[in-house]
Amino acid sequence: MNGWGKYVVLALIVAVATHIVVIFGTPTVLMNVALQRLGGGHYNAWHLGERVTQASRTIVRPAPDFAYSACPYDLSNGPVRIHVTPWTDYWSLSLYANNSDNFFVLDDREAQNGVEVLVMSAGAAPPDHETATIVHSPSQRGIALIRRLAPTPDTYAAAAQVSHADVCSGAH
Amino acid sequence: MLRRVLAWIVAIVAGLVLGGASAWAALTLGVSSFSSHYGAWSLNRAAGSTAAGPYTRAIIARYGLLALSSREALYFNLDHDEHGQPLSESCIYDLTGNAIATRWWSVTLYANDSYLARNDDHAASVDATRINAGDDGIWRARISSVQGDSVNWLSSRNARRGFSLTLRVYNPQRDFAPSEDSLPKLATVSCASSS
Repeated sequence: MNGWGKYVVLALIVAVATHIVVIFGTPTVLMNVALQRLGGGHYNAWHLGERVTQASRTIVRPAPDFAYSACPYDLSNGPVRIHVTPWTDYWSLSLYANNSDNFFVLDDREAQNGVEVLVMSAGAAPPDHETATIVHSPSQRGIALIRRLAPTPDTYAAAAQVSHADVCSGAH
Repeated sequence: MLRRVLAWIVAIVAGLVLGGASAWAALTLGVSSFSSHYGAWSLNRAAGSTAAGPYTRAIIARYGLLALSSREALYFNLDHDEHGQPLSESCIYDLTGNAIATRWWSVTLYANDSYLARNDDHAASVDATRINAGDDGIWRARISSVQGDSVNWLSSRNARRGFSLTLRVYNPQRDFAPSEDSLPKLATVSCASSS
């Protein structure tokens, strides 16, 4: 290849590679940022978010009508056990892999009395006699999120009180 | 020799810039192309889905990280008026809707940085539990920088130009079928002359 051709080819190869890296890497990078922001580097514990206001800048497009509790989880030391305390109105538990996929969601229609979930690594065998709902996470790290419908300051305060009974901890 | 090395470096830098710019363009300009449109509202059913492709996943991560999958909730966005103009703080709008066939819904106003507008009006959203509807079931929300005499109010104060609305539809009923007629309609009431 003569002249400028080889340089143009190199530029195009680098451009395509950069494009692919950015597109595929964006969800993982943003999820890692969210993991840090929501948990401050701490894993396997619930963090109740303050009521969403103009000052809320942790996650884009937050809904001011919900009380959010987030648990960044890490399965590198084994399964993580999650317990969600029921709420008087809509609530849901959703799990997100480190590429942002919402791979599990359950709401109060399916679990009126709350739920206990054991989050395990992909392919891990569940313990014998386990009564919790078994969920296999596609990634070692991810985020568990509880949404409780609480559109007013009073309902938010009540939801915050209820959230103290939620559990997110290593199962060992 | 030095000239040749410089040429390789320039080629690599040009590739990085081109690749980065094309990815940015795909994530910014591609939002619309990955969505279904119902009148002025757009919906991306792939939000949160494990079946989402790499572009959809990247767009959702940028504009709606930690969104629920469509099995649980649907997210509709509206960012322009009936004339195709970006929504602006200097305008007054009416949002009118019927009962939505779902367990719960809300409409939230976001500034163009995708966060709540920087004001202390505590009027960033209206929702099914608080909206005041007429006897015919029709509700109307005023979108403006001051409340005036409106009962249902979404404050656009400090939202500037380019804000957007997100309609959340949680646990939609089986017969919920989004359409231009079933979703709330936005109408411009007036705009300040400077807009």
